[in-house]
Amino acid sequence: MAELAVYVVDDDASVRDSLALMLGLAGYATRLFADAESFLAAFDPAWSGCVVADLRLPGMSGIELQGRVRERGSALPFVIITAHGDVPAARAAFLGHAVDFVEKPFDDAQLRGAIDTAFALETRRLDEAELRRADEQKLARLTAREREVLEHAVQGKHAKEIGAALGISPRTVEVHKMRIMEKLGVRNVAELVRLRFR
Amino acid sequence: MRLLRYLRDAAVFAPCYLLLDWVSYIHPLGPFNITPWNPQPALAIAWMLLGGLVHAPAVFATILLADLLIRSVPVGVSLLTALTLAAGYAGIAYVLRALLRPRPGLHTLRQLTVFIAAVVPGSAMVAAAFVGVLYATGSLGDTALFAAWLRFWVGDGVGVLVTAPLLLVAADPAGRSALAALARRWETYVQVALLGVTLWLIFAGLGGDPSHHFFLVFPPLIWTAIRHGLGGGVLAVALVQIGVVLGIHHHPVQSLPVIELQALVAALTLTALYLGVMTDERERANQGLKQSLRLATAGEMAGAIAHEVNQPLTALTNYARSGQMLAAAGRSAELGPILAKMLAEAQRASEVVRRLRDLFREGRTRLEQVPIGRLLESVRTEDLALQVEPGLPDLLVDRLQIELVLRNLIANAHEALDGRAAAAIGVRAQRHDAQHVRIVVTDNGPGLAAADRERVFEPFVSGKPSGMGLGLAVSRAIAEAHGGTLDAVPGPHGEFRLVLPVEAHG
Repeated sequence: MAELAVYVVDDDASVRDSLALMLGLAGYATRLFADAESFLAAFDPAWSGCVVADLRLPGMSGIELQGRVRERGSALPFVIITAHGDVPAARAAFLGHAVDFVEKPFDDAQLRGAIDTAFALETRRLDEAELRRADEQKLARLTAREREVLEHAVQGKHAKEIGAALGISPRTVEVHKMRIMEKLGVRNVAELVRLRFR
Repeated sequence: MRLLRYLRDAAVFAPCYLLLDWVSYIHPLGPFNITPWNPQPALAIAWMLLGGLVHAPAVFATILLADLLIRSVPVGVSLLTALTLAAGYAGIAYVLRALLRPRPGLHTLRQLTVFIAAVVPGSAMVAAAFVGVLYATGSLGDTALFAAWLRFWVGDGVGVLVTAPLLLVAADPAGRSALAALARRWETYVQVALLGVTLWLIFAGLGGDPSHHFFLVFPPLIWTAIRHGLGGGVLAVALVQIGVVLGIHHHPVQSLPVIELQALVAALTLTALYLGVMTDERERANQGLKQSLRLATAGEMAGAIAHEVNQPLTALTNYARSGQMLAAAGRSAELGPILAKMLAEAQRASEVVRRLRDLFREGRTRLEQVPIGRLLESVRTEDLALQVEPGLPDLLVDRLQIELVLRNLIANAHEALDGRAAAAIGVRAQRHDAQHVRIVVTDNGPGLAAADRERVFEPFVSGKPSGMGLGLAVSRAIAEAHGGTLDAVPGPHGEFRLVLPVEAHG
């Protein structure tokens, strides 16, 4: 699994430097950016961890950056920090699914709490993605006929109905079902359904 | 103690009342105190209004005493009339006490209207009761009832309308200082002289019936009330009343229509009181506006400065926390550079605080050399088209304040566009003249009508539903404090021009 990192986007060099030092000592991996544009230029959708972005940046704001990252299909969590926050800005941040909205100067526990929440979200997201990928690999091993049988079976149809629909004997359907469950590593139809719709 | 204070107040009140009664006992109807000018009830009402109805017995005793000393009325009748009057005045005072809360006086138009609405019918009722008592005791003889009532009503009513406001102003510390301030202005003396000349013209200079020329007194009176508020108004009215009384007294024709003159004085008094209170209210509103303008400027600046001060504080906190972690890990040798960074951040924060203090305590702006490109870059938003003429000299401005102005102008442009498609906001920096650079902020919104060109800079004129509309007023104040200007250019599209001084070379 990829390492989780904190991506700091702040135009203030001292804030950036001090954050990197503190987070580094606390055991977080950090990457620093002076503005939203340079972050986007380097951005890779495979990144995982948490973005800590200042609300007010030269050029694109932290919230606009969050919007761009979402447009690129990434669910990378955002923590917005601001030296002069207001309600509309906080609202916009949360509408873009920011994890937290932290006002400067902040307590390090507050920031680390937000980062840890973001990391927990990321871990769960990555675990689920991992599981889904494994499922897809298993499903890829099915033959075309087995896939057809699977689609009918997960709708709760019996072997007779499936056989009639596909023009094969119910007995053949049972054989296919056995092989499907074997290939996917499930013990019963309920697990089959869960895997199919995960 | 309370009794002592009561007696002391009564000892001041009674002689004043007697004196006023004696002075105003002119043109009486029979032996009774039915005269066209009765200022003393005002004293009684004001005393009970401000001090409470506990003074009613003292008022009764004083009225009785006045009758016995000044007039030759049978004691039995005097007792009855004094009781009637004291009860009537106490009633008016009671109503005023209840309605003029919480701060008795004539500070607002509402209070003035309540005062007039209580005094005019109140004195009519007192007059009716008084004349009724006289009639019932058979003291009136063959005098027409209605004429007696009207005479008493006008006398009392005008007396209270003219004198009570003066007493209320004098009883109020702020009113007293306003009256004292009047004495220090040359304008007051011109107005007093003008009123005197006018009254002389009315009663002597022009000849004939004084009420025909009475209108002449309105202009100087209006002038005084508008210039000096209620304090000036009540003083002018008192002067006119004294002038009218003296005029009547010394007029060669003894059968003057005194009641009509006093009715004119009543009309004049209402005019002066309303103008005075309106002037005071407007003045207070102005003061309030100035106050909130100062507060709003402070608020906007504080917002901008909070950002500046929070940055070093954030860094400071982070460095300190890092230092703690290093110390806890036994890596004290690495603390040196961190402490140096902390010192630098602390200095940075105190620099911002120093500026804040300069601005609010002394209104001082800290001028520094600011490259125009950097200034514009700091306020740039994504959708902004920046255009800087090459070779522009550096600005000589307070960076923080001018950033605030630019943010304001850009936010304004955003609001004017209100999310319309193909919105375009442009910021152009150009040379204005040898000593100035011009920053033009444009938007493709609806623009300003020529009539609104100055109006938008007035505080509280706001095109937006929320907000106080102080942004442009504050921005212009900042530009002018820099020796620059901020103007709106009317036209089909929004355009604001900010002219700022540049660093002088050589």
